[in-house]
Amino acid sequence: MSKLSLIGMLRRSLVHRRARSLSALIAMTVSAGVATALLTLYANLDAKLHKEFRSFGANVVITAPATAPLRPDALEKVRQAAGPDALAAEFAYAVATTDRGTPVVVAGTDFAAVKRLDSWWQVDAWPDASAANAALLGQRAAQFVADERAVILTFAGHSVTLQGVGRLRTGGDEDSRIYMPLAAFNAWTGVAPTVIELQIPGGATTVDASISRLRHALPELQVQPVRALVEGESKIVDRTHALMYGAVLLIALTVAISVLATLSASVLERRRDFALMKALGGSQLHLMGMFLLEALVLSIAGVAAGFLVGSAAAWAISETNFHTATLPRLSVLPLVLLLNIAIAAMAALFPARVLRGLQPAALLKGE
Amino acid sequence: MTERPNFESQTRPDCAVIGLNNVTREYTGHGSVVRALADATFSIVAGEWVAITGPSGSGKSTLVNLIGCLDRPTAGELKIDNVDVATMTATELDRFRADKIGFIFQQFHLIPYLSALENVMLAQYFHSMTDEGEARASLERVGLGKRAEHLPSELSGGEQQRVCIARALINNPPILLADEPTGNLDAANQTIVAELLQDLHRNGHTIVMVTHDPEMAALAQRRIALSHGKVFCHPVGGPMVAIRR
Repeated sequence: MSKLSLIGMLRRSLVHRRARSLSALIAMTVSAGVATALLTLYANLDAKLHKEFRSFGANVVITAPATAPLRPDALEKVRQAAGPDALAAEFAYAVATTDRGTPVVVAGTDFAAVKRLDSWWQVDAWPDASAANAALLGQRAAQFVADERAVILTFAGHSVTLQGVGRLRTGGDEDSRIYMPLAAFNAWTGVAPTVIELQIPGGATTVDASISRLRHALPELQVQPVRALVEGESKIVDRTHALMYGAVLLIALTVAISVLATLSASVLERRRDFALMKALGGSQLHLMGMFLLEALVLSIAGVAAGFLVGSAAAWAISETNFHTATLPRLSVLPLVLLLNIAIAAMAALFPARVLRGLQPAALLKGE
Repeated sequence: MTERPNFESQTRPDCAVIGLNNVTREYTGHGSVVRALADATFSIVAGEWVAITGPSGSGKSTLVNLIGCLDRPTAGELKIDNVDVATMTATELDRFRADKIGFIFQQFHLIPYLSALENVMLAQYFHSMTDEGEARASLERVGLGKRAEHLPSELSGGEQQRVCIARALINNPPILLADEPTGNLDAANQTIVAELLQDLHRNGHTIVMVTHDPEMAALAQRRIALSHGKVFCHPVGGPMVAIRR
């Protein structure tokens, strides 16, 4: 029964030079692991980054014309045009006077909607939806009132008493305002909402498309993107993509050099073995096939190990940075395999050339 | 044992298993041409044992490489088993070599991670297909039947050379090409290998042997001496006669 086979020889050869084989395998595992981790994260990157950017608040502002407030159905139309993933909140503004005689901007809004939209606000305690006169005081505005538990405000001769539930800190204009439920605001001031703040998830292209739809649906309103935010988000997402691609390529190149050194050393160490096989009748194609098969086996083994390591790394990175779990994605495996095979092929070019140039006669003579 | 032919001045192309006719091998490099072998003409008949001798740089390795189909002549005609090898492609030459030549190397050249048996089967692998039974029989023939599973590192120098001989014989090639077969052996193992080669010769094998050892050369039927790329040949013990310049 035949005992000697190509696979058997390959296995023995790899085991015989285990240090060299391990070195190449580790390099391949690193490249496959990094590629797996980055590609796995990349698949969800947009969603994760945009989710993070959502916490920065509105990236589109819709304002009523100077002559009239927003239509009662404006918010509903905005939500329809912006899409189901968009967050929107109405704001109505009036300048009232506190019990200390200090003018203060009062905003009427839907606290539940604002809480989702402006999650970056630092709030001690959000008012309950059922509390009709609960108020949120900006940290500067709180200094304008005598008693936060009973905030007395006057607008056009009409007074209202609000209960300060929590303080608001943003570092911006919001700190100088007092926020109250929209219904109570309307009843007190008779002023309708004039602004809708909107958060549309996605890159600049998506946001611009939504803005076009909004302008078409509500031509009488002014729809403006918060440019700094939209463009900033887009740039960061694009740069993150570029960074990931660059990292994968750089690591692939480094690994290729490492594998090149290992494979070259392997061929040089075994040149007498290859010369012997040639003398015994092995064709150039056969010997090249044996050598390339070795490189391929190491590449595939590296992919298998690297996929496990990379998936674990992706999970850890996702948990640490985005507080969500990223499950292994089998869909990245073909790309990772292709990458590793390309690395092995690139690294095998020089050693293959050395193999082609072998002079069996001289080598077998001991020269 | 076959009758010793008359080699004094003539070749015998009609039953030659190796035939050289004005074979020249030149190497070009650094703007100059080196003629390693010049107009070699001789033949070796089936069943003959020929020793190739000469000092370093005389062209022995070149001649052996040509006969072993590891190289091709620059000019002239080289026939192995009546086939002109100069016209073959590299692939055809690989195939031809596996069929016709059994190599015995000075440094043995066994694959270190294959056992003695597997090293013998390696020659079968590149020839046609492996047959463990035949490989074991070949090892038995050289007295290593019980050492078949040992790695080369576990064998003595003489044993390794015997594995090399078993490998050379496995495909029944018409020519055994031995390059300093006892060069790396101690006296005792030299004797063992020399006796093995004598036994093979008695059984009708054609042996072309490169050697510096006069005692080994004396075992051959005929000596082909080389000097500065030129060939001389004479029967063992006879005067040296230049048959072609």
